[in-house]
Amino acid sequence: MLRVELATQLLRIRTLVALACLAAVPVIAGLATASHAGRHNGTQGGLFGASTLSALNHAMACLMFIGPLLLPLVVALLASAIGSADRDWGTLRYLYVAPVGRRRLLTGKLAAVTIVTTGAVLAVLIGGLLTGIALFGWHPFHILNAPTLTTGQTLTRVTEATGYTLLCMLSIATIAFAFGLLLPRGAEALGASLAFVVIATILNQQSSLHRLAAVLPVHYWQSWTALFSPSGTAPLATGALCQLITIALATTLAFAVLHRRDPAA
Amino acid sequence: MIRAAGLSKRYGRRPAVVDLAFSVEAGQVCALLGPNGAGKTSTMRMLVGLSTPDTGTAELLGDKVALGAPALHRAGVLIDGPAFVPHLSGLRNLRLLWSAAGHHWPPPALDDALDLAGLGPAIDRRAKSYSMGMKQRLMLAQALMRDPDVLILDEPANGLDPAEVRALREHLTTRAAGGAAVLVSSHQLAEVQQLATHVVVMNHGHLVDAGPLDRLTGAADDAYRIEVDDTAGAANALRPLTGVTTVTAHDDAITVTAPGVPSRDLVQALVTAGVGVTSVNRADRSLEDAFLTMTRGDDDHAAR
Repeated sequence: MLRVELATQLLRIRTLVALACLAAVPVIAGLATASHAGRHNGTQGGLFGASTLSALNHAMACLMFIGPLLLPLVVALLASAIGSADRDWGTLRYLYVAPVGRRRLLTGKLAAVTIVTTGAVLAVLIGGLLTGIALFGWHPFHILNAPTLTTGQTLTRVTEATGYTLLCMLSIATIAFAFGLLLPRGAEALGASLAFVVIATILNQQSSLHRLAAVLPVHYWQSWTALFSPSGTAPLATGALCQLITIALATTLAFAVLHRRDPAA
Repeated sequence: MIRAAGLSKRYGRRPAVVDLAFSVEAGQVCALLGPNGAGKTSTMRMLVGLSTPDTGTAELLGDKVALGAPALHRAGVLIDGPAFVPHLSGLRNLRLLWSAAGHHWPPPALDDALDLAGLGPAIDRRAKSYSMGMKQRLMLAQALMRDPDVLILDEPANGLDPAEVRALREHLTTRAAGGAAVLVSSHQLAEVQQLATHVVVMNHGHLVDAGPLDRLTGAADDAYRIEVDDTAGAANALRPLTGVTTVTAHDDAITVTAPGVPSRDLVQALVTAGVGVTSVNRADRSLEDAFLTMTRGDDDHAAR
């Protein structure tokens, strides 16, 4: 079933264009800051301020820049299509009579969601890394107002940050996927997913609504950036738990929709 | 090989199928007939597991059917019209639907199915560029390429030209002769009459009649062939008559279906209208006549 999703979704031009757009952001950002290569990036602090000091710095800065909105929007676009396209095209009934069982269908689709989400995160990182190598060179990771990281420290923190971001993106991906199965049309699923990201982001910025925002996965999406602060530690456990709970809930919803809904209804 | 036992399905408060029972055996081509809304497609959906019956069971090849049931590996299905991944070629779509169930490409009857589809080089074009007829032919190829023991085809002749309809008819007849059980729904009654060995007639979700086609279309007490000197005048004279369900005009005669109406009343009406009557005989009914007679009532206006 994964091969079906690979053919129908992952290798389609729309998906490749979306991933290319993600990869283009680090290129554009790199070109915009290329004049500061090897120096502090203007007056900015944190990851953005050090983005012009090395390829890895640039890659992580791009992940921070793209992580709150553009990356989840693209992930939601792709994941909602995986959930809804079969029904939009009418091919779902022919998959069922092929025959493909519900469990196999769901497993294949979830695998595709995982692959496309991983692809989206990697597109940003690889785009950032290649652009960074070309424009800023391969140097040790710099943290402003802190000692330069060793190779081991860099590897650990970059891996942690990437894994955590992937987990965060999987949470919005499974939400969008569940919407794709639940709502009648793909466009509605995409709209609902985007609305969720935008509204959750707005709520997250309202200090008076902190208790509400704290239960939303969006609240923790940028927690990994503390890994690259002078303290070098980030409280990722709560955020990871929130993402895992969200993924579990969305997957359960997806399974329930697929299992209970009469395909001909 | 195909069996519906007490099937009932309700959508909201509307009953779509009520206590339906029939079977299709190996070697039979059974036509599922009924007016729009009779419950044909609902029945077919239950027979392929796309819809769960409220009561009763649907069976294929002796196994109860549910969504993704193993028996479907041996079934070719066309239901609710063609559907493809638009950005893939016709052949890629066939491959997709075949390999989705874990089968190794190519399917056993691919060449025959592609011959019937007759798409030629267009098989490598994107499916979204296909005409309605091409999509229908590709969908038929999808159903037939798996060399199925059971075929369940919803309106298979939709969008096909006469030559394609004829080729499909011959293909289905050959498959049935080879031991397959074929169930088709269709509104093209003349076509069905040439194809089917058995008929199941539904109306408002209920079974009206089921059995060999010959029994349904054989000489009937309620159908007459009347030779007249003015077929148009005769038709105009008989259509308003109470009890007359269908009047079909031929060159020098009319065929009248009038359950419960004595032939003398028909003759009297014709003579009164000034139409000369040469002879009156019992008539073999066409499937259309039989169908319209069986489904009259609420649909009487359509029959007339």
